[in-house]
Amino acid sequence: MSALGGGSAGGEGINPTASVIALVIVLVSLGIAFALAPATLIPLIGVIIGGVLISFGVHFVPVGGAPAAMGQAPGIATGVAMLAAGGGLAGLFGGAWAAEMGIWVALGAGAMGGGLLMAITCLMVNVVYVYAMGIPAASGKVEKDPITGDTYAGYRSQGTEGHGLPFISYVGGVIGGILAGAGGTLIYLELLSVYEEALPSVLGMTPEGMSTLAVSLAGIFAVGMFLVAAVLTAYNITGTIEGPHDPKFKRWPRAVIGSSAACAACGLVAILLVVI
Amino acid sequence: MSVKIEASEGGMDHNVMLGIGLVGALVCIYLVYLNTLMSVEVFAFFGGIAAIIALWWGTDSIKNLCSYGLGTGVPSAGMIALGSGVVAMLFATKLAGISPLLVPVGCVVIAAILGAILGFISDKVLNMNIPVMTRMIAELTVVGSLTMLGFTAMVAGTFSFGDLITGATSVFGVEIASYASSVIGGCVLATIFMLGAIAIQHPFNACLGPNESWDRTQMCAIECGSLSMIVIAIMSLAFLSLSAVVISFVIAIILWGWSYSELIKLSKRDAFAWLDSQPIREVGGEQ
Repeated sequence: MSALGGGSAGGEGINPTASVIALVIVLVSLGIAFALAPATLIPLIGVIIGGVLISFGVHFVPVGGAPAAMGQAPGIATGVAMLAAGGGLAGLFGGAWAAEMGIWVALGAGAMGGGLLMAITCLMVNVVYVYAMGIPAASGKVEKDPITGDTYAGYRSQGTEGHGLPFISYVGGVIGGILAGAGGTLIYLELLSVYEEALPSVLGMTPEGMSTLAVSLAGIFAVGMFLVAAVLTAYNITGTIEGPHDPKFKRWPRAVIGSSAACAACGLVAILLVVI
Repeated sequence: MSVKIEASEGGMDHNVMLGIGLVGALVCIYLVYLNTLMSVEVFAFFGGIAAIIALWWGTDSIKNLCSYGLGTGVPSAGMIALGSGVVAMLFATKLAGISPLLVPVGCVVIAAILGAILGFISDKVLNMNIPVMTRMIAELTVVGSLTMLGFTAMVAGTFSFGDLITGATSVFGVEIASYASSVIGGCVLATIFMLGAIAIQHPFNACLGPNESWDRTQMCAIECGSLSMIVIAIMSLAFLSLSAVVISFVIAIILWGWSYSELIKLSKRDAFAWLDSQPIREVGGEQ
């Protein structure tokens, strides 16, 4: 599904040297944060966990891309960047709205926001597939649905990798939305706590005046980091995945390592904004 | 290792484009600083021109990166560019506390470091094994941060953190300083983010294919950039004086009109055949 028709590059397996370097980046970021401002160590760990949740969650989401739009592959007919932005940002906004009610309520609201958006998207995708395009849901990667036990072989069209959105992909989509929504909200909450604490002393302003500023800064950083983690995951699964039953799902460790390093670096810069 | 597929023959060398894009964008952003030096606001439009120059360069970087099989669509490269670019750009505006002249250069340096880390992760940790990936992701992060910085400078007339977080609201004719009505506090950044992202991810996505040609893709980049610049000019009405807004708006409209007509000319040149379609005439009936 490359733009110009070339084969997808992503190989299997983990590159040990690069993974160690990525973990060193995480540790160095944590070390710099601890050295400059010990209080920001816990928020930075929260940001990294948020990135890991996003990256792991996106692997569950059934991304079909262009082949799915033509009914030649299962999944939702768009790319990871759009799906993750939709599901994750819906979760992020849900969580941001509940931010004043404590971290667990906010995380729950974020997770529900992301999960709800994916549930509605998956439902409407299947409505369009079944009633508008006239194709049944059939997975191309497994013969039997791992949850319901339905067989797919009789419904799969010749020359396709399956089509529609099978039950296991629907469940995967909702789980992915929940994880990604919670991850995005966690990044937002951790950055918000740092800014609300540090901005008044750094900029010499009243705490009342700067709450909108802290919310805006944390929000735009959370959106940026969310997209970075989601796109890195998209590169890992090389564009399309059917859900948790897809063999590509087993690639998640390296996306988790990569996203944690990326979020550590971006999170460190975001926290240094108020530290130096 | 993935196979490279040549997107288009000819065109300017990428290193030359990198030089023009980097230097041009930096010079234009520095020209916005004339606002602070001369206590005026009319030089804000240079920020938009800086963003267009950066987008022009970034489109070629995306083309180089997407010549290899990414597996996912072209827009993802634009999203990672702006997503990491906004982090670098916001941090760089804080450097204005040391010296405002450090902001644009600091923005490039921080974005390049962040981009190199992200490029390394996608190339080596995620096993993409694309030779140009580290360099192109680093370039795209710089492009994303320069686009954000340019458009932010255009909307606010300045690029120092202190000015970006304070705005003034008028309550019953009395001016009150307010953080909520500033560029960052009002989250105008989110709109700038999407306007920049659309402008960087669209040109190559729209022009790719067997018949892609360098000048048409680059003209599409200028066209998308000026289209975003028009919207930014309208948004700057909230922060700048009317004369500065009118100047920005007129320049953006002229740039867009010129680039759009050029793009249509180039599209007609590259098309196999061009049919100026007419409205379908109803024949028969009353005749």
